[in-house]
Amino acid sequence: MIARIAEQCFWLGRYLERAESTARVLQMTGQLALDAELPPEQCWMPALAIFGERGTFAALHGEQAEADGEAVQRFLTWEEGSGSSLVNTLFAARDNARSIREVVSRECWEVTNELYLWLGGEMGKAEYTHSRYAFYLHIRRMVQLCLGLSGSTMLHDTPLDFIRLGVVLERSGQTARLLDVHHHVFTGMNPGHLVVQTALWLSLLRAGSGFEPFMKSHSGRVTGDAVAAFLLLEARFPRSVRYCLEAANRYLRLLAAPEGQGQLGQESLARLAPLLDQLRPEALVGPEANLHALLTRMVEGTSELCQLIAREYFGKAMPLGTQVMGG
Amino acid sequence: MRQAEDAGLFKGYSIIPGAFDELMGPQGEPRPDFLRLLELLGSRSPDEFTRIQALAERALLNQGVTFSVYSDRRGTERIFPFCLIPRLVSARDWAHLERGLEQRVRALSAFLDDIYGEQRLLAERPELQEIILGTSLYLPHLRGVRPPGGVRIHIAGIDLIRDGQGTFQVLEDNLRTPSGVSYVMESRILSKRVLPEVLEQARVRRVDHYPAKLAETLRATSPEDPDRSTVVVLTPGPYNSAYFEHSFLARTMGVELVHAADLYVEDARVFVRTTRGPRRVHVIYRRIDDAFLDPESFRPDSLLGVRGLMRAWAAGNVTLANAPGNGVADDKAVYAFVPEFIRYYLGEDPVLAQVPTFVCAREEDRRYVLEHLEELVVKTVDEAGGYGMLMGPQSTREEREDFRQRILAEPRRYIAQPRIELSTCPTWDAASRQVVSRRVDLRPYILTSPQGSWVLPGGLSRVALRAGSYVVNSSQGGGSKDTWVQKETA
Repeated sequence: MIARIAEQCFWLGRYLERAESTARVLQMTGQLALDAELPPEQCWMPALAIFGERGTFAALHGEQAEADGEAVQRFLTWEEGSGSSLVNTLFAARDNARSIREVVSRECWEVTNELYLWLGGEMGKAEYTHSRYAFYLHIRRMVQLCLGLSGSTMLHDTPLDFIRLGVVLERSGQTARLLDVHHHVFTGMNPGHLVVQTALWLSLLRAGSGFEPFMKSHSGRVTGDAVAAFLLLEARFPRSVRYCLEAANRYLRLLAAPEGQGQLGQESLARLAPLLDQLRPEALVGPEANLHALLTRMVEGTSELCQLIAREYFGKAMPLGTQVMGG
Repeated sequence: MRQAEDAGLFKGYSIIPGAFDELMGPQGEPRPDFLRLLELLGSRSPDEFTRIQALAERALLNQGVTFSVYSDRRGTERIFPFCLIPRLVSARDWAHLERGLEQRVRALSAFLDDIYGEQRLLAERPELQEIILGTSLYLPHLRGVRPPGGVRIHIAGIDLIRDGQGTFQVLEDNLRTPSGVSYVMESRILSKRVLPEVLEQARVRRVDHYPAKLAETLRATSPEDPDRSTVVVLTPGPYNSAYFEHSFLARTMGVELVHAADLYVEDARVFVRTTRGPRRVHVIYRRIDDAFLDPESFRPDSLLGVRGLMRAWAAGNVTLANAPGNGVADDKAVYAFVPEFIRYYLGEDPVLAQVPTFVCAREEDRRYVLEHLEELVVKTVDEAGGYGMLMGPQSTREEREDFRQRILAEPRRYIAQPRIELSTCPTWDAASRQVVSRRVDLRPYILTSPQGSWVLPGGLSRVALRAGSYVVNSSQGGGSKDTWVQKETA
């Protein structure tokens, strides 16, 4: 397929996934703030940290505003200067979909476009004002509808492989950062009431859409280590880092040139292999185990992989975490 | 015969004096061909019409059937305004148009072949040299190039109007990148959705096979075996105002939509960059102007375009649709001579009438134009979209003086025509919630392959949405209607 289109498919997937993730984290943080009895900054700071937006936010509103849930939500929803804000992410997703309108299915495009029009119009603003929970839920559902439709209304061929590659790589990075930030915050707190602790781990699971799957696989026994292991390693859970990277590995194998047709795609595969290698249960136990270091390697490794994919398939070098638009 | 007053929606519909109404006779009675349909439509209440019109507009917006108004990053996109009351064309009228359009495209093709070949016409009629070779749209360095497949006008859009007597007249030939056909297709989808029983009763010919016909036409002119040919649509990009149409055509033909940067030329062959390396391209339906096709050939300063594309075309290795250089045949001054081309090249009488045209490059025409500016419509030959025009009867003294100076300075750039009383069509006016009379034109689309021409039974009916206006261009407040061509009665 055309290299430019492959790139736009990849970014369509990434932006859709990022929007869903932002909406989900904000929705869950809002719930957590209601029942976790935490100081507000411990609720809302992680939401900014997950998306790497603490610096931008502080520059605009000051660090103390991290305790202001409304300011954080407004920033991550409407801020034009933030690469993770919903308004920017959904604009970028829609812009990519529009540019490759002949590649994405009609259903998929219409959902993306409708969501974009809704968010930019009166209806989105009214929902944001009157029912925050419903606002985030609407965004999440529409994004999930679009991703679901892409799989059920498009040819299962290269364009869809690139969309899904974008989704899983974005997702593995999100889960790794989510886990890193929260684990750091929660374990660093004074050992307090067990019920509060449990509520925190559950909220972390909810922020990663993993509450029910975790309960099913752990029969309801919630500990910090079990939650971390689940979000990092659980091969059956579609948001775990391992699941996502294994999926990326499958797509990259599909996309790489068949043997005997040059080396195209081999470098990306070679970069992914050591990341997958580190995702073993032993990595989390014993005196040498360091969850934070491992997660950092995952986040950095994934973004390096994305750059390599850009070079191998899209014919360009790309700055970290951004798409070269209109190039 | 039932009168229009009986039917609710058309109650009180009045015709503009002197104008031919497409659907109603001079007394406001439905034309016999359209009687049944108008009864059906007329039985709708204004409430119901308001509802379906809003429904249809919402659908278009959500589907992204829009054009960009300006080109900044978050540029506004608008739907092309449209009216659900269709414009109808009887089978008899259509048969006449079809013959005339086919003939006209045939003559224009012969003219282009001659002007880029032997130039027999110019040798015999030297007085035409200035008019024909004097346009910047003639590309002298393409002389002697024969396009692959021999076709130059793969897609033509020929604008027609209907005068006060109901006679169809050609207003303009569009032989470069005529646009709007996607709106024809989308309007029909809407008609099917919101007026299914009316459409069924009206016995309307289908238009949805246009993309398949277009793909077939393009493949048929490929320098390679049609079955092994790669066809692409070339767009200036998503910020172009017609981007919806470009992607629509690629999507419905099942071919790739490419940007100039996706293509490159090597060894006089065109390739597209893919994730698996280069792939050869044989046919390019290009929706970018000649001047931006190839920086090597046209504008060295331009970063747009595909370097070497014209060399590949001249070598016969790639088909460009439409062929470069066609602009000379749709120049508004050259237009004045098309009836002569039909006689000269085909030895036939023109089937279609056209609007009398004064060519300011000719001294006696110029003198007449300057003396009658108040009555005439003056047009700049190389501007489209209703720009660069003087509507004499509605103009101010200053505007006329401005045009007088412009004509004297560059006579070749101006033509003038008498104002034709465009036909009207009942049109829904959302503000007053009633059906009003608005002026329309018609752009049919003609596809030409080596096997001959095919006319899409339908076309873009553009409507001046403002009361009293003659300007139907979308950039100037015009809208569109679905065009229903009736089937022959068995």
